[in-house]
Amino acid sequence: MAEEQKEAKPKKRMTATKAAASIGPMVKEFITGTLQAKAEGKYKVAYTFIVCHHEEIFRALDVIPVWTENFAGICGAKRDAERFLQRAESLGFSRSLCTYALCGIGFDQWREELGQMPPEAPWGGQVRPDFMISSGQILCDPRSKWYQASQQFMPDVPIYNIDLPYPLFQENRDHREVLGYYHQYIVKQLRGLVAFLEEQTKKKMDYDRLRELVNLSDRTWNLIDETYKLRRAAPCPMGTGDAMNTMVPINFMMATQKAYDFFVDLKKELEEKIARGEGEVENEKYRLMWGGGLPAWYALNDFNYFNSKGASFPVETTYRMVAPLNEMDLPETKDPIEHLAWRWLGYWTFWYDKAKKRPGSEPDVERLINWIEEYKIDGVVMHEAFSCRTWHVGLIWQLHQLAKIYKPIPVYMIGKGGQKEKVYRELPSLILESDIIDITSYSEVDTRNKIDAFVETLESIQSNRAT
Amino acid sequence: MVFVLGIDIGSAQSKGVILDDQGSLGSFECASGGDFKLTAERMREELLSRAGRSVDDISRTVATGYGSKLVIFADEIKSDIVCLAKGVSSQLPTARTVIDIGDLYTKVLRTDGNGSVHSFILSGKCAGGSGRILQVIARVLQVRVDEIGELSLKSKKRVEFNTGCAVFAETEAISRLSQEVTKEDLLAGLHRALAAQINSLAERIGVEQEVAMVGGGARDAGLVQALKEIRGHDILVPPNPYMTAALGAAIIARESLTIQD
Repeated sequence: MAEEQKEAKPKKRMTATKAAASIGPMVKEFITGTLQAKAEGKYKVAYTFIVCHHEEIFRALDVIPVWTENFAGICGAKRDAERFLQRAESLGFSRSLCTYALCGIGFDQWREELGQMPPEAPWGGQVRPDFMISSGQILCDPRSKWYQASQQFMPDVPIYNIDLPYPLFQENRDHREVLGYYHQYIVKQLRGLVAFLEEQTKKKMDYDRLRELVNLSDRTWNLIDETYKLRRAAPCPMGTGDAMNTMVPINFMMATQKAYDFFVDLKKELEEKIARGEGEVENEKYRLMWGGGLPAWYALNDFNYFNSKGASFPVETTYRMVAPLNEMDLPETKDPIEHLAWRWLGYWTFWYDKAKKRPGSEPDVERLINWIEEYKIDGVVMHEAFSCRTWHVGLIWQLHQLAKIYKPIPVYMIGKGGQKEKVYRELPSLILESDIIDITSYSEVDTRNKIDAFVETLESIQSNRAT
Repeated sequence: MVFVLGIDIGSAQSKGVILDDQGSLGSFECASGGDFKLTAERMREELLSRAGRSVDDISRTVATGYGSKLVIFADEIKSDIVCLAKGVSSQLPTARTVIDIGDLYTKVLRTDGNGSVHSFILSGKCAGGSGRILQVIARVLQVRVDEIGELSLKSKKRVEFNTGCAVFAETEAISRLSQEVTKEDLLAGLHRALAAQINSLAERIGVEQEVAMVGGGARDAGLVQALKEIRGHDILVPPNPYMTAALGAAIIARESLTIQD
């Protein structure tokens, strides 16, 4: 068996908001809560994946979701993933696979081999599930294969695979032409999930309760959108570093009152900070967008390093897994399952119409362009995590598309008063390279050298404009 | 009259330039060794000696490179990306894309000809695609690094070198030698493989002509030729390409004095 050693504990990242600082204990409580629930045997526990937008179904049937990507991320953030990655490697899994999956598979095998949690398992460890709900959602193959691999060590734990497609973007085709077919299919998939969970829990779905939970999620979606839009303020009151914490209620706690209340508090905190003129950075010089890629969980301190150079991050595409429902024009329905399917499709096709209006654009690029303008962004940072193919593919292409719009030359535009104005739209970009949890791919010195060079580039552009 | 220093402490080689108002008074290159502080001191002494100046004559020093933070007498530290752009714009103002082949990294940057950087990209943590592979192969073939360019240009038979990894390169080279592949053909194959990796990196941020190649790797005529062939156009190489970042640092030092005035 490979050597099982823990890495040095990282320095704690400084948060800009109290809300973000409260997340760590919240996640710890959630993890220990799953262990306790399992021990008491009152509730069923299910492995599952984030960004599926149907956790209301779990909660309505009192199934406790265990977000396996979350646990792998915790191992990464605590710099304690390597021993689980090595274990998965020793079982024959390649390091170039999704390292979330590798970490989870290594952990599961170890726990099953011991018949108890591996020694010093982060925050008590990941609970043994009663069943596993997988979903590739046409974007991530490990989400379908991961649990199949884990099932080798837990042959008594059933898997239910739910398929959640959405129409792909086609420049010359209105996606609404086929949306009805997709909706019917997803409704069937969700009803299949309900039937599976009913069988596992020996309970019948209470559709009034489900409707209430869906309504709670909808309100939370809109509240998150309103809250995050406050970050358009200058100076920006909360950056991406904090958003890597506040993604927890979005992705792991949806359809709970706690998630809703969290954003009520965060919104209030941001409004107060804005009123005081208080930013994430004391003297904000540059406003950056985290334009894609999952973060290096063991190196979140790099956000503080950016901050130390006067750079704030008002917006990120990663983990902002909600969109304003009032802008989606979703068909009315009293059936919560049908609504979940419409909401799913509404989320994934949200940028389609806007993208069609700009020749050569694509939804992912359109989202970047819109947010660059809305949040007054000076530069884009992306992270290529080698083991995450889903996020990798397209990042460079997106930057190339952006470079066609944000050219390194001044352009003339008609300003508000009808006068011709010289406008600088240059937008430098930085690509960081490492992994989500595999720390062997990361070099702090190299990363910070890159950040230094990027900040100097921003500085040089600003001073050139000034002269 | 002002005198300024630009010092580039690289991971393998350190370079320095001394400038006055008019131009360069001298330059110096040495191995970085294991003590960057000492190397920086030695660099300063050597540059002052070549220019016939003393420490008190120096108005400003800008340091760059991997060991720049250990140049304790520097007034300012600048990233090598910014220094490279400045250095290239002073020598090759028509260059819009700069490829720097260093020992540790390959860097590609887009510039406007006035020394401003628009975007840049570095090779990853892995040494594949950097100049380190040239040193590895020189050791295997028992030739000097500065000889491999000319040897490569004498290649008569095309050999495909498969790996881009600095570690596997050694293994592959040894196995090719056992197949009686000549040094010249092997080096040309390696240069093509390395150039393909460099080109791929450059394409990630987009290549705008004209293209300049700098850094220690630009001294290797075989590598420059391989990149020219892959890209299908000429590539500019300034005199003393390995001095570019140090020169840029010195120019930045001189410019900041002008701004202060």
